[in-house]
Amino acid sequence: MKQKDEGKNRKNRGYKALLLLVACSFFLLFFMVLSIIVGAAKIPFSTVVDAFWHFDKENIKHLMVIDLRLPRVISAVVVGAALAVSGAVMQGMTRNPLADSGLMGLNSGAALALAICLAYIDKVTYSQIILSAFIGAGAGALAVYGISSLVPGGNKPMKLVLSGAAVSTFLVAVSQAIAIGNKMSQNLNFWTMGSVTGNSWNQLKAAVPVIGAGILIAVLLSGRISILSMGEEVALGLGVRLNFVKTVGTIVVVLLAGTSVALAGTITFVGMLIPHFARYLIGPDYRLIIPLSAVLGALLLVVADIGAKTLSAPSEIPLGALISLLGVPVFLYFARRQKGEL
Amino acid sequence: MKKGIRTENIKAAYGEKVIIEELSISIPMGQITTIIGPNGCGKSTFLKTLGRILGIKKGYIYLDGEEIHRLPTRELAKKLAILPQAPQAPDGLTVEELVSYGRFPYQKGLGRLTGEDKEIVSWAIEATGLKGLEEQATSDLSGGQRQRVWIAMALAQETEVILLDEPTTYLDMAYQLEILELLEDLNKVHGCTILMVLHDLNLASKFADHMIAFREGRVIKAGTPGEVMNKETLKEVFQIDAAIVTDPVSARPICMSYQLLNKEKNRSKVKKGA
Amino acid sequence: MKKKNRKYVLILLLILIPAAFFISINAGFTDYGITDILRILAGKGDGKENIVVLQFRMPRILLALLIGAGFALSGCIIQGITRNPLADPGILGINAGAGIMVLLYVVLHGAVSFGSVFGLPFLSLIGALVTGTIIYALSTQKTKGVSSMRLVLNGVAIQAGINAVMTMVIMKLDDSQHEFLAKWQAGSIWNANWKFVAALLPWIVIGITYLILRSRHLDILTMGDDISFGLGVTVVREKYRLLFTAVALAAACVAVSGSISFVGLMAPHLSRKLVGSGHRLLIPVCALTGGLLVLIADTVARTVIEPSEIPTGIVVSLLGAPYFVFLLLKERKKTVNS
Repeated sequence: MKQKDEGKNRKNRGYKALLLLVACSFFLLFFMVLSIIVGAAKIPFSTVVDAFWHFDKENIKHLMVIDLRLPRVISAVVVGAALAVSGAVMQGMTRNPLADSGLMGLNSGAALALAICLAYIDKVTYSQIILSAFIGAGAGALAVYGISSLVPGGNKPMKLVLSGAAVSTFLVAVSQAIAIGNKMSQNLNFWTMGSVTGNSWNQLKAAVPVIGAGILIAVLLSGRISILSMGEEVALGLGVRLNFVKTVGTIVVVLLAGTSVALAGTITFVGMLIPHFARYLIGPDYRLIIPLSAVLGALLLVVADIGAKTLSAPSEIPLGALISLLGVPVFLYFARRQKGEL
Repeated sequence: MKKGIRTENIKAAYGEKVIIEELSISIPMGQITTIIGPNGCGKSTFLKTLGRILGIKKGYIYLDGEEIHRLPTRELAKKLAILPQAPQAPDGLTVEELVSYGRFPYQKGLGRLTGEDKEIVSWAIEATGLKGLEEQATSDLSGGQRQRVWIAMALAQETEVILLDEPTTYLDMAYQLEILELLEDLNKVHGCTILMVLHDLNLASKFADHMIAFREGRVIKAGTPGEVMNKETLKEVFQIDAAIVTDPVSARPICMSYQLLNKEKNRSKVKKGA
Repeated sequence: MKKKNRKYVLILLLILIPAAFFISINAGFTDYGITDILRILAGKGDGKENIVVLQFRMPRILLALLIGAGFALSGCIIQGITRNPLADPGILGINAGAGIMVLLYVVLHGAVSFGSVFGLPFLSLIGALVTGTIIYALSTQKTKGVSSMRLVLNGVAIQAGINAVMTMVIMKLDDSQHEFLAKWQAGSIWNANWKFVAALLPWIVIGITYLILRSRHLDILTMGDDISFGLGVTVVREKYRLLFTAVALAAACVAVSGSISFVGLMAPHLSRKLVGSGHRLLIPVCALTGGLLVLIADTVARTVIEPSEIPTGIVVSLLGAPYFVFLLLKERKKTVNS
């Protein structure tokens, strides 16, 4: 009797997830269109439609839609999805509810690599930027994981956040020193504050396939991550190849976080908040959490970007700062709710 | 003025969670009293209220006829010392330094140690058998030695009463005896009143002049070890069926072996579950 | 270190600081001998020498020493009271709270006038107190009291929030203000003149004196609430007083230097290694160590990529972050040993 109920419950959850996914995708589409319409100059919906179906090279508004607003909104979508999925994968693998690529040093590692790239390489190509962001994110992740694996109870959320904070501070300090030394602190600020303002199709062409692949692998891995989230011993007992899952998972996280930094600079808290929210909506199964996180993350970033554009128009609020402001209270709430030793 | 510790209808709680309610009891002076009881029965809480670490919501606690919550905290610290469970000293503190903190209640201003303070500190160190270790860092000592340092600190407070919360936790058997024998000496030689929570029933019985058994924030039984360490009381306090014999050496009652009272019930539970 | 040798540490520091002082005066595009410097300090230098040494270098060096001492003492108290070796006014977000008040003032009023230099520390104290209270309240649980781990975690988060607000404010500024505030945010001794020395000095002097008088209480509070109660310390009141002192010291320093993290972490640790945890000696040693650290960092910041200047806070972070990691790792050794 009881088992039947559980089965029904699980099935319900599947339907619920599907429903949520569809609903959120619908919202996402709506806000994407809204994001194209609003901005410094308002572009009527009909013009947007025109720009898609009857593109006219001479029409400035058409150019704005296709070359400025569309890449911008797509950037927001992919960056949001990438950050949220990387956060979900990290949370599942480390069983750490506060895991986030921004808090764990990945974003600042990528930002440092970018700073080096911009300061010392002439005429950087976009693929070089993305590549260096991977290397930086990887190095940041390695440093934080390395440190916390040496620290007793390093997997405790608290310790990981602290190692992350220390590594981040260090990396940011190095970036700042490089930036000031090369008189490009304004330029670097763009990366450190987080923004999707100036993204072009060229950048997206390089970044979108990577993010797509990362999310796909994460989805394929999600069943194993669910098991891993119950603890390593349990996972081993159920025959999950720990090292394989962890290695692939870490690569996915680095790919996603690195690419999103290359696209939008450092944006913290998305990776922590969205998976929590997804878990709150549909329960602890990562097969559902990961896809839902992708959509919710995209939605959050698109909405926040609309806010960044309009709240203090005509100037823009940095997207990263806006999201931090939203994220901090939620982080505090979760940290407070977290029972037991941190 | 009436000597001794007495509580009147005290109520103690952590936030909303009431641990002790309507508790009135007195602790005999000049004796060793041990408190026993199952986990969460309020015995540590009781000790903390006596040492005013935890405030009480209702009632009164008297020490030598004075209400302790009306005494300035330093004055009380001259009369009553309390040693919490598993205290932690900062790194690098030497034995002598830690023991000298016991003189805090007597110091004024910048707190230089007077000649008298120094004498008392070295007496406390000697009494606890730590002579020669004064310059050692407390973190380099063994568990038993470290516990003795804390006791020495309490001694340096020169109080009539010392409260201890499980002073033998985390110590192996020889160290446990070492600590308890030290406390027994302090009681016999210096006339200190000692009140402590002990986990081990047999040790509690062996070293006590007076015992108190707690359960769910109430005193089930108080009296000599013979009155407390018996089948009926242990049944009520711990829900165990104990076999009590008399220790041929100390002539105190000890608990030879025990069984859970509702063992059969537990077994049937396991079966059902399977 | 042997107890006997502890006093020598103080003497050693009192030698090292003048040494660093002379090196720092010469760091940059000048080259004076010791005799030259003594001559200038005695008021017998020529016009240019007077300007370089007395108007630029001296106040800057003194500010570095004072700021270092202030942050170090603030960290020392917070570490002692929360019994958390990782606490630091910067990490706890107190500096950020102080900083945003200063930032808002600078943005709204443009320049800092003579009168306002002395008001600035009070302003930043308000910001620091508000932030500190919020963090403290968030970290307090009804039944368990304050958790020192939560204190740090909430501090990190609050700091992120305040930094976000700062970023938003900074975006509204023009380029020159932007450059200045970016440096200030990273922690630099931004306006080294005698006015600032005069504004900061009383805070540090009063702070140190008060703390030395309270050193006995600090000793006992580091052993935890239960022991402190047992020894007759009025724990709650004493804690509030001392934490207020810590916040005030940090706030006053932030007003003149921006937030320099990690000094409050490193200096107390190094000092404890050197002279143990008795606060009567620890407090002066800690103040001197902190001062020395910031002075060295500031000298490096000024000279390493001349003619441009790195904010001092960055140099300190480059030293401090690895130290923080080292402390995290050290905890491992302790658990393995025991």
